[in-house]
Amino acid sequence: MDIYLFEAIINGILLGGVLALLALGLNLIFGVIDVVWICYAELVMCGMYMIFWLHSFFGWPILLASFAAILGVAGLGVLLHLLVISPILGSAPINQLLATGGMLFFLQSLATLLFGTDFRNIGVRLPLIELGDIFISYSRLLAFGTALIGAVALYLFLSRTYLGIAMRAIAQDREIMGLMGVDQRRVYLITSAVGGALAGLAACLLVLQYDVHPFIGLSFGPITFMICVLGGLGNMIGGFIAAFVMSQIIAVGGYYFSIEISYVLAFVFFIVLMFIRPQGLLAR
Amino acid sequence: MAILSRLIRSFGLFGFALLGFALALPVIDDGALAQDKPIRIGLLYDLSGPFAAAGSVASQIGAQIAIDLTNERGGVLGKYKVESVNADSQSKPDVAINEGERLINQEHVDVIVGVYSSAAAVPLASKVEEQKKILWITTAVATSVFKDRSLKYVFRAQIHSDQYGQAGIGFLTEHAKSDLGVEPKDLKIAIIYEDGPYGTGVAAADEQYAKQAGIQIVLKEAYSANAPDLSSLVTKLKRARPDVILHAGYNPDITLFLRQAREAGLRFKMLIGNGAGYSQLDKLTATFGTDIDNFCDIDPVPAQHLDAAKLAPGLGDLIKIMVERYKAKTGANDVPPHVSMGFNQTWILLQNVLPIAIEKYGGTDAEAIRKAALDVDIPVGGTIQGYGVKFFPPGTQLSGQNERSTPVVMQYVKGQIKVVWPTAIQNVPPVLPLPAQSPYAVN
Repeated sequence: MDIYLFEAIINGILLGGVLALLALGLNLIFGVIDVVWICYAELVMCGMYMIFWLHSFFGWPILLASFAAILGVAGLGVLLHLLVISPILGSAPINQLLATGGMLFFLQSLATLLFGTDFRNIGVRLPLIELGDIFISYSRLLAFGTALIGAVALYLFLSRTYLGIAMRAIAQDREIMGLMGVDQRRVYLITSAVGGALAGLAACLLVLQYDVHPFIGLSFGPITFMICVLGGLGNMIGGFIAAFVMSQIIAVGGYYFSIEISYVLAFVFFIVLMFIRPQGLLAR
Repeated sequence: MAILSRLIRSFGLFGFALLGFALALPVIDDGALAQDKPIRIGLLYDLSGPFAAAGSVASQIGAQIAIDLTNERGGVLGKYKVESVNADSQSKPDVAINEGERLINQEHVDVIVGVYSSAAAVPLASKVEEQKKILWITTAVATSVFKDRSLKYVFRAQIHSDQYGQAGIGFLTEHAKSDLGVEPKDLKIAIIYEDGPYGTGVAAADEQYAKQAGIQIVLKEAYSANAPDLSSLVTKLKRARPDVILHAGYNPDITLFLRQAREAGLRFKMLIGNGAGYSQLDKLTATFGTDIDNFCDIDPVPAQHLDAAKLAPGLGDLIKIMVERYKAKTGANDVPPHVSMGFNQTWILLQNVLPIAIEKYGGTDAEAIRKAALDVDIPVGGTIQGYGVKFFPPGTQLSGQNERSTPVVMQYVKGQIKVVWPTAIQNVPPVLPLPAQSPYAVN
């Protein structure tokens, strides 16, 4: 087998890990609260800034800074729910979409105002992994591993814990759960915190590979949303699989044709699939 | 000046008014331009979005310094103050067009100075041309902004993208045998570029000049500057094994590419950047430290790296002021070429064009400025960036473009920028190929 093609496939799998991690939180929120956080990638951006400032400016160790960022973005998730989502929970989906879309621009502009447009990075340089002629990105491998662990942990949480089961129950029927005495508000808040924490986790891994700037969300937001839709919005396993399908199209398509064409292929695949299975790959 | 500023500080607006009144008195009958009506100039740059930090803000600061300095010296011709109106095109061509319209129709400016991105410059040029106002481009380089478009109201003293190819290939042809040990015809290059007009323009020129020189192109590929992943491009480069990579990129894409290239073990003998993100040495150094040592970059020269003795008298002092003020404003260590671009083009407009427009053509309306611009004839060495200014007249293929502009090839030497080509004005001879200590060097 062509060694370079093999490298492209591995790169695709690793990119899939990054995208899967991003899709996880967005899917959880949609699955339970039935609202799309269009500004999800911007929450990731906030997390990246937190790590940058805590680590590079205040000199916190990177692990501590990462942990703080996960908590911080979880807090942002809760705030987002309390201030923006909960007042409009009953409104039409388009209004909710517009509101979180507004948050996207708000967060971008706020970051520009606070931090300027400079590209910043934490200057951590990870070692290289060399297997024969193939090089593997350490940061990507880390992201891939974390995505797997995150997905499994989330699965266990949703299937084995009382709270997780309550979340899934609400996702299935939000009206009846209220009638049965479940405090939806509390479940929503916890879901928002978990969704935020997942965005924070993604931030910890992205900050190792990318510079932080107010518009980093532009690189990830659209494709993350697309992956969630492709997998069936709210379907976590679907999103996970979709992330790897998309990343393989991008990586292998990029290898055989060009990066530009690979994105065209990915979008064509997306559109065709939306015609065939509008409910997504693995719809509920 | 100190007395003036103290006066202003102590009397506030009243002091301003008093001052304006005092200055206005002796020239109140000065024809079309009264002293109380300053020359309004729109400054249109990407102050937010991904281009802001890739040189757009630096250009804007350069342009503003030129305006401030002109005003401190009394204004254009020592008496006509210049008032700038800022606009932010947000790194989006549609916003650039809307803001351009706003500057013309609501702010009533006669001249728009600025434009960082070629993607914005191309449509904006047509818009401004339609309205018969002046677009004075300081930074965007794509040749396609002017080529075969017969523009009459758009001017650019800055270099154009074809010249990047000319410089890069010229540099390689000159050094292939002596430094890389191969004839130009055996030299293998790869051309990678962002897919907007800037990258596409530079890449087309690279390809054209490489073919003329008989250099082999083993890969030519575009990508979006926002792409979240460039690893398949890196893999293809590993397969194609170019000696030299020519890269035209902005900023997030350059850091992503270099990071993924290092992680994937991509090796080459030299990398030549083409301005934009590669000219932001402070930012690249913050990310890559000494890893990028000895990389090359083509751009109009940052004025402070030229030998002031070879320039027209007075320009050396001007460069010093520009550098001091930029550093004071931003706290930066390296002053990117974009500052010189913004300052230089604006300075040419204020000092060389507007005086002719006022004295010879009777005002600062678009028609007068257009005629004055075509009269400008500055010899080589007459601007802070070394090149002269003479605009291609209407009826020529590049009408409105400066025919005397030139870029240089620079090399990063231990966190400093050194000019290495053209050989006649080099600061140091180039280091080629990358020395063994570089993580990107071919072993």
